[in-house]
Formats: sequence, C-alpha cells, structure tokens
Amino acid sequence: MEFTNLFSQFLSGITYGMILFLVGAGLSLIFGVMNILNFAHATLWLIGAYFCYSFWSVLQGYGFALWLSIPLAALATAAVGWVTEILLIRRIYKRELHEQLLITYALALIFGDLIKIVWGPTDRLIVRPPIIQKPVYIFGAPLDSYFVFVILVGFAVACGLWWFLKYTRYGHIVKAAVFSREMVSALGIPIPRIFTWVFTLGIFVAGLAGGIQAAIGSVTLGMDISIIIQAFCVVVIGGFGSLAGTLVGSLIVGEVFSFAILYWPDGAMVLIFCITAAILIIRPWGLFGTAMRA
Amino acid sequence: MKGKALLVFLVLCVFLASGFTGNGPARAAEPYHLGVALGFTGTGTLYSKDQMEGVQLAVDEINAKGGFLGKHPIKLFQRDTQTKPDIGVREVKDLILRDKVRAVVNDYSSAVAIAVKPICREYKTLHFPAISNSENITKVDFSPYTFQMVPNTYMQAKAAALAVAKMSKDKGWKEYVTIASDYEWGRSTQEETVKNLKTAAPNLKVKKEFWPRLGETQFTSYITSIMSLKPDFVYPVLASKDNVAFTEQAKPYGFFEKVPYVGSMQSVTELITEARTMPRGLVAIARAPFFAHLDVPMMANFVKNYRAKYNKYPSDWAVMGYDTVYALKQGIEKAKSIDTDKVKDAMKGLTVDLARGKLQFRPLDNQLRCSSYVGIVADDPRYPFPVFKDTIEIKGIDSERPEAEIIAARQAEKK
Repeated sequence: MEFTNLFSQFLSGITYGMILFLVGAGLSLIFGVMNILNFAHATLWLIGAYFCYSFWSVLQGYGFALWLSIPLAALATAAVGWVTEILLIRRIYKRELHEQLLITYALALIFGDLIKIVWGPTDRLIVRPPIIQKPVYIFGAPLDSYFVFVILVGFAVACGLWWFLKYTRYGHIVKAAVFSREMVSALGIPIPRIFTWVFTLGIFVAGLAGGIQAAIGSVTLGMDISIIIQAFCVVVIGGFGSLAGTLVGSLIVGEVFSFAILYWPDGAMVLIFCITAAILIIRPWGLFGTAMRA
Repeated sequence: MKGKALLVFLVLCVFLASGFTGNGPARAAEPYHLGVALGFTGTGTLYSKDQMEGVQLAVDEINAKGGFLGKHPIKLFQRDTQTKPDIGVREVKDLILRDKVRAVVNDYSSAVAIAVKPICREYKTLHFPAISNSENITKVDFSPYTFQMVPNTYMQAKAAALAVAKMSKDKGWKEYVTIASDYEWGRSTQEETVKNLKTAAPNLKVKKEFWPRLGETQFTSYITSIMSLKPDFVYPVLASKDNVAFTEQAKPYGFFEKVPYVGSMQSVTELITEARTMPRGLVAIARAPFFAHLDVPMMANFVKNYRAKYNKYPSDWAVMGYDTVYALKQGIEKAKSIDTDKVKDAMKGLTVDLARGKLQFRPLDNQLRCSSYVGIVADDPRYPFPVFKDTIEIKGIDSERPEAEIIAARQAEKK
C-alpha cells in the first residue's frame, strides 16, 4: 500500500474523529459537570443540522449563506437546550442514572417526532459554495476541502473549551462543581444557574456540530441514532468529563474505524466496541477520566 | 296486460344493465371511461404527476381525432391512491363501480399495483401498472387483464449486468468493488448483482466488498478506501438515503472523476431536479428516457407537443403514461371494439407502435418487451440538464426472465 493511500486513510480518520469529538464534547461536558447522561444529545445535534438547513434556505442567494447558517444553527439549538434544561433537565439532577437515561431517551423520541412535524420526512440537502466543492491535496492525498474547516473548528472548540475551563472564573467554578457541588454552593455560587449555562453550552457545541454536519451529505431523520452510540464510545474511551479524553477518544475511534475499513471492513465497528468494552473492564473511568468520578 | 308490462319491465332492465356495465358492447359515440389511479400524494407524487401529464396529452391527441376508433371520446376519471395499497384498492373499486371505467392506469408503487390487480381481474377491467415495476405484478398470480408497460425489476437488474459486461469488454475492466447497505435488501441485491455479473462477464473479479451500516452518515473512510484500491468500477447497492449521503460525500473527493460508479437509477426526473448537484460520470440506468429515442418520429413529436403544453421536457414517467394510452388505442383498433374482453384478447402478444419504438407484449405474462437504458451521466449543450452519453440500450427480449422460470414459479405458487 502506497504512503499516499495510507495518509489519505489517516486524514479520513482525523475528519471522522473530529465530527465525533464535536458531538462527544458537549455530551462529556454535561455528564462531567452535571452528572446527566443525555441520550437526547445527538437528537439536539440533528436539530442543529435542520436549523442550519433552514437558515441556509433563507440565505442561499448569498455567498456567505453556509458560513453564517452554522453559528446561527448553534445559537438556535442552544436556545432549545436552554428551554429543555429549564423545563425538564433540572428536575432530574438527583435521579438515578438509569432513570436519567430513560427520560432523556424519551426526550430523543419526542424531539425526533418534532423534527418530523417541523421539517417533514423529506431529506434536506445543502448545496455547498463552489469553493468547497473540490478536494485539496495534502502530500498527494485527497481531502474534501470542507473537512479542512471541520478539523479547524474541532481544534478551535477543543482549545476554546480548554481555555474556558482553565482560565476563566466560570470555568473554575464549573471544574469545582465537578468535584463538589455542595461546597461550591456553600460559597454562595448559584449552582442551578451555572448548570443551566453548562447545559446550554454543551448543546451549543452539539448545534455547532450539527450545523457543520448539514453540509456533509444530506440531513435525514434517524441520523442521530446512528451517531449517538459512537459518541458514547468516544466518551467512555476518553473518560466522561475529560475534554482531552474526548479529543483523544475521538481520534482513536476515527483512526481505528478508518484503517479497519481499509483492511478489515467487516470488523470496523466490532473493533471499536471491543476497545470500548476493554476500557470499561480495565479502566472504567476512561483514559483521561479520574477514578473518583467513576 | 300484466304479462306485457312485465315483458317491458324486463326489456328495460336488460337495456339499463347493458348501458351501465362498463363491459357491455360498444354503442355509437359512447365515451370510453378511462380511470387513472395514481399516487398524487405520498412518496410517488413527483413521478405520478408527470405520468398523468403523459396520459392527458395522449388523451387530448386521440380525442382531437374523435377518440378511440374515431367515435369513442375518452373521458378521464382521476383518483389519488396516496401511494397506499388500501386506498388504491378503494379508489379503483370506486372507479369501476361508480364511474364505470373500462381500464385503469395505475400506480408508481408496486405494492399498490399488486393490491389492485385482483380487483381489476374480478371486475374484468383492463389494468395498466404503467410505471411500477415489481416483477411479481406479471410473474405470479397472473391476471390476463394486467399489462405491464415498464421494464420490470428482473429486466432492469439483468440489463445493468449486461451493460456493465459490455462496458467491461470495451474498457478492459477487470476488478470491481461493491458497497452495499448491511441489511437484508442490501445483502441479497449485492449477491444477485455479483451473480449476474459473473454470468455476463466471467473475467470480472470482486476486489473487495464493503458493508456500511444502514443509515451510515459518515462515508469518508469508505470513500478513501475505495479510491486507494483503484478498482475499475464500483457497484453500489445503497439504500436511498445512504446513497445520497455517499454521493454527496464522495463528490468533493473528485471520486466520480476517478472511479466509475455504476448502476444507480437516474430517470429524467432526477437528471432535471438534481441538475446542479448530480455528479457527472455516473453510470446510470433509466427506464424510458426520451433522449434515447428521438429517432422515433412518435417520440420526437411527443417531446415537441409535451414541451409546448407543459413547458418542460418529459420524464420517463410521462413517456410511459403516454405510451400506455397509445398501447390501449392499438389494442382497441385490433379488437375493432371497446369491449374489454375483446381488447384484452387482442392485446395478448400484440406488437404496438410507441414513442419507445415498436414493442411487443409477451404473450405469457403481458409484460411489454421494452428496453432498459444504461449510460454515462454527462452534460449536453442541447439541454439545461445532464443526459446520458454512450447509451447502451438493452432490449426487453435480451433482459427478460426465461419463460420456463416463470412457469415454474406459477406452478410452485399453486402448490
């Protein structure tokens, strides 16, 4: 196998990993801080994709339509997340994990039907601007030029969240709340409000990822179900609540999947689940998680 | 006196009965009631609308000359099946019983056509599933009243294999890969395709098989893998949504310029509606593209009149709708009557002049021996949308299932 082909497959793994990271980052953040296992996360990601399509439909006469639609979709999805947190999520903070899973799974079904009512069952397709319709070549390996943007956004989100958690006051509060919300609360910090904004931030990232996904293939019903399991694999491997873990987990899943497709297509998904299962047995808190959280 | 009154009453009853049953003998200037039960709503909307336009144009042309046999003006009765079998059955029954139609042009959905078939047989009404193409419409549970106007699933699959075999010979193709959705339909269709290709071109080898999950959203790794393998062509068997996702993700890789992607169905409807986005270079199959038969005067005339009336080019579905009414016309002319049973008998094995050329109904199953068309999607300065270039026409007689297999299937059905 030539180097170019292997490198091409490596790039595919990076792009796939970045898409998974953008979905998994919000999932991990929400679980890490709020201890909420949000099964509806990918459905909110799908809502982001549909929002992006709607904004793009309105703006499609302009050259910047797609580039503006993506952040608008993230904001609109964040608004849905904010309402969801206020109406439902804050009522289940203290519930058992399996109850949370059931409730958020029901939420995923409700959102799925709402999508059908609002956008209909027809597949939606965004026509990309000409600048991202052709491949770019890196060391001779072709790469969809849009994925350059996806990879950059992925790293920007990773850096942005890292900076937020490490250097801002709110970031410190959020990190402190991960370890002891009672202590943070005792210091007079309004935990419910912090949680609302953390949830909204997580969903904002999901909406951003959905908006980005909208220009990769078509937007169709059921896409959320196919990606949520892989997003869970990513956060299990990386460690729930760990941003670096989610990034590394995403890249592992992306690369393993990508090279398995080349050499052993039938076993691609099996390998990912084997790795996930092995991590759960050997190191249940994930590669970068802390044992305390597990 | 009483006896006389009774006699008059009986004569009146016979007269009324003959006048009100669709299958009675033709009377001078009696209009021909033609039912059209299509999925004007539901998944088949787009195709059905085009089909209706083709039917309407043919009816207008024939009526301008006095109707069938020059004396039976055609009266159309239109119903919406919603592309649902139960609604289709209800509407067709109503067309037969209330509107007294003698023939029904039927649905885009094979499920609707199969559900309607026994109703038409029971009420002795001609049935034209003009665009639905399940082989089972004519292969099993045979109805002498049902006439299939479209290449069926078997014919299309075999035509695709024969065309690919021909291309392989011309272009020196030796290896190919398949990518099929990993579920029952994907697996069985892939298996059938590989088998057909092996028969048609024994030298062709499968280099690798890819099985993405049904509903896969990220095809990038598959795309780069296929490009790395450098096969001579790819044979996809992807479910509709997955096919769109694959196509859209493969385009920015310049995939279609590098690897021939064969076998997807692209009717003129898709060529027009996806003119901006459809990748050029696809090796596609179609059922009745008008541009393949512009050498037939009837097709050239149809395209001209259709464009004048609807201000657009006719799709495959419009062509088949148009051909259906003309096939019926020629059946009636041969029978010299609009009597349904006489027309049915006259149409058995009949060769008809259609926009698609001179075609015969196979006597065994009333399947029109129509062609399938395989070509490379390419721009053409004559049209505002891509069409096929280097089109290979696979004749019906070369792609149809052998009669012995159909007879065996019917015998197995009886057991």
